[in-house]
Amino acid sequence: MSAWTSPAAIEVESRLFRALAVLRVVVLINAVGLTIYRAGNFVSPAAALVCALVMVGWTAFVVWAYAAPSRRTAALVGADLAIALGLLLVTPLVKSPAFQASVPGFWVSGALLACAIHYRWIGGLLAGVALAAADLGLRQQNDQSIYGNAFLLVIGGPVVGYMCESVQRMAMERDQAERAAARAEERARLARAVHDGVLQVLALVQRRGGELGGDAAELGRLAGEQERELRALIRGEQPGRGPAAGLAHGMVDLAAALTELETGTVTVSGPATAVEMPADRAGEIVAATRAALDNVRRHVGEDARAWVLLQAFPDHVEVSVRDEGPGIPDGRVAEAEQDGRLGIAGSIRGRILDLGGTAELITGGTGTEWELTVPRG
Amino acid sequence: MVVDDHPMWRDAVERDLAGAGFEVVATASTGREAITRFAATRPGVVVLDLQIPEPDGVQVTTEVVALHPSTKVLILSASGEQNDVLAAVKAGATGYLVKSASREELLEAVECVAAGEPVFTPGLAGLVLGEFQQSAATEVRGDKPTLTDRETEILKLVAKGLSYRQIADRLVLSHRTVQNHVQNTLRKLQMHNRVELTRYVIEQGLDGDD
Repeated sequence: MSAWTSPAAIEVESRLFRALAVLRVVVLINAVGLTIYRAGNFVSPAAALVCALVMVGWTAFVVWAYAAPSRRTAALVGADLAIALGLLLVTPLVKSPAFQASVPGFWVSGALLACAIHYRWIGGLLAGVALAAADLGLRQQNDQSIYGNAFLLVIGGPVVGYMCESVQRMAMERDQAERAAARAEERARLARAVHDGVLQVLALVQRRGGELGGDAAELGRLAGEQERELRALIRGEQPGRGPAAGLAHGMVDLAAALTELETGTVTVSGPATAVEMPADRAGEIVAATRAALDNVRRHVGEDARAWVLLQAFPDHVEVSVRDEGPGIPDGRVAEAEQDGRLGIAGSIRGRILDLGGTAELITGGTGTEWELTVPRG
Repeated sequence: MVVDDHPMWRDAVERDLAGAGFEVVATASTGREAITRFAATRPGVVVLDLQIPEPDGVQVTTEVVALHPSTKVLILSASGEQNDVLAAVKAGATGYLVKSASREELLEAVECVAAGEPVFTPGLAGLVLGEFQQSAATEVRGDKPTLTDRETEILKLVAKGLSYRQIADRLVLSHRTVQNHVQNTLRKLQMHNRVELTRYVIEQGLDGDD
């Protein structure tokens, strides 16, 4: 499809021709009115009448003809320009060779703009030059204002043509962008449908695998991991649910960030609504939580279960990380700190204290629990 | 009744339930089917996937509970649908289980809801806690039910993954008491929803009083 026959370009052209139709009627009234007013200047009133009738008839015809894209042919535009030139050329005959105002006057601008709209700047330029040359060529003397009018024809044609081209180009670009957006949306919709099927199968494999035990249990565990990863990926892609959706600049949703820590053995619970926090603070909390979970894996076991709970209050958040391991013997944390092995102390306590919060470690027979309390602001 | 749009899952759940001696009176793959077949068969328990063709699981829950308040709805859904799960529970569902749960967990959950006990996973407890904390933070204390300190404490422990038995031991309560507290939080959440609805109706002048 050529650039100028695309629906968007044709739509722009149609709108411009509709506007031009109004202009044509206005310049027609002007031209006919002046013809009647200056009827005395004509050699014969009959000739003046014929000229006026030609203008009225032709204007009516082209308003109709330009209305449909299929009728905007080279022949029509050419005839339009020829009629305008013709009326200019007969002026010395129907008026006097020393005429002041041409018969059609501003009426020729209709043909000029039609050329500019249909053939863009080059059409506008050629029509402008042709009309200006005809006008100037016929006159016995050219004063400043006549020259000025001719110059406007030559300048106006290409300017309007160029503008028309630019608007058409923009309309086409907008159309392309809209189509691309619609395609992307459709692709996302299809992807969700496809992904949902995959997710269901993965969840089922995970469940059955766990029941069968042995190698199948391992397959089930892998399927479960893939399910969670794919789901996180889809969540990120969904419009309005992306990481930055609806959040102020520099803020993140701590609930969503913590949910990413969920695995087959780690359960993350929290409110259904976003917990908005400055990105750097949220990042530190997530890092501390991750450190606590790493600790669970290291000290309790690779497949040890752990629970993360996020609670959001107006002024602070509380994150708890709990496992069901044997607990940390008294003094172990302090000992490690003294040894310079900053494992827990550095990663968890340090981070939280830096945020102006508190990190409490409760350990006992039924497992270990970190309680992290951090001001929101 | 088992409602899931994936035949694979529907069959698996149906087989598990039938194998354990439950009678599966109907299955459905869309919300519309679910509501029609529910009315025809009146099952005691509905195992419901939230992501089903229109109307969705939340609407099905609302309809089912409105038709038969004594029916128990157990949400069996993929993880990561927090908002929908909360909406379904507010609409009257009594339990929520993720699809990755094992067959034993599913059977246990169905038995629980059939006996009228809520099935609270840590994830659901976190959601409910969050809901009450949010309304406590944004609203002047009014006619909305709030959680007692004990209920909040128990809900927190559930969210941290403790079993009812462990919670009972830790707080020196009976298993039954813990269960009652949990049930109360759910009841309050559903009341919460009704209070919101009622207030909305009154504010909008839809109560026909004017």
